[in-house]
Amino acid sequence: MAVAGGIGVIAFRQPIRSVLSLVVVMIALSILFLLLSAQFIFVAQVIVYAGAVMVLFLFVIALLGPAKEIAKGRLRFQTWLSALFVLALFGLMWAMLQGVQYRQPDKADLNAFGTVQSIGIQLFTTYLYPFELTSLLLLTAAIGAIYLSRREGDDR
Amino acid sequence: MSMLDIGGSQLDTSWFLLLAAMLFILGTIGVLIRRNPLVILICIELMLNAANLTLVAFSRQVQNLDGQLFALMSMTVAAAEAVVGLAILVDIFRHRDAEDIDDLSELKG
Repeated sequence: MAVAGGIGVIAFRQPIRSVLSLVVVMIALSILFLLLSAQFIFVAQVIVYAGAVMVLFLFVIALLGPAKEIAKGRLRFQTWLSALFVLALFGLMWAMLQGVQYRQPDKADLNAFGTVQSIGIQLFTTYLYPFELTSLLLLTAAIGAIYLSRREGDDR
Repeated sequence: MSMLDIGGSQLDTSWFLLLAAMLFILGTIGVLIRRNPLVILICIELMLNAANLTLVAFSRQVQNLDGQLFALMSMTVAAAEAVVGLAILVDIFRHRDAEDIDDLSELKG
C-alpha cells in the first residue's frame, strides 16, 4: 500500500511518465479492491481505467506531442502556498480518521459479497434508475466528444 | 478501530482510508502546482480513484454493497469527464499552443 502511495509521488513528472505511473497506481488500487472482496469493481477498474481511460490519455499525448513543462510560474509563492493548504487539508483528513466510528456490519455473506451476480442483482433492482441515468450520461459524453472533435474539420 | 479479515489476516480499515487520503492529497498537490492542463486532468483522475477506494473500503467494512455500486457510478462519471475534458483540450490545442494553464485564463470566444 505504501508502494502505491510512493508511486503516486512519481506522477509528478513529465506528462507521459505521469500517465504511466498513474497506470501503476490504478493497478495497485485494483489489487486493493480485490483484497476488499470487490471483484466486479476490480475488473471494471482494470478494464475501464487502466485500459480505456489511460489509452485515451496516451493517445492525446501522442497527438499533441511531448509538451514541455514550463518551470516558472506566475506566482512565485504558489508552490509553498499550495503545500501549506494541502498540509492543512491532510491534517483535517487525519483528524477525521481519528474520530471515525464504524457501525455494526450487516453480517452479509462474504463469499457472495461483491461478485458479479450480487452486484448485478442490486444494480438492476434497487439502482435501476441511477443505472439508466448513467447510460444517458455516457451517451451525452460521447456525443459531446464527437461534436467537439469534428467541429474544426467541418468549418474549414 | 475495526479489523477486517482479509485472506485470513487481520487488517485495519483505516489503513485503506489513510492510503486514500494520501492519494487524494497527492492529486490535490498535482492540480495546484502543475502547469500542464493534461497533467491536471490526470491528477483529477487520481483524486477520483482515491474517493473510489474509500467507498469500497467502507462498503467492505459495513458489509453493504451500496458503496461498491456507488464506486461503479463514480467510475463511469470519471470516464465521461475524462472523455469530455480531453476533447476540450484537443480543441484548445488545435487553436493555439497552451502548455501553461494560465495561458487560457481569458474567457473569450
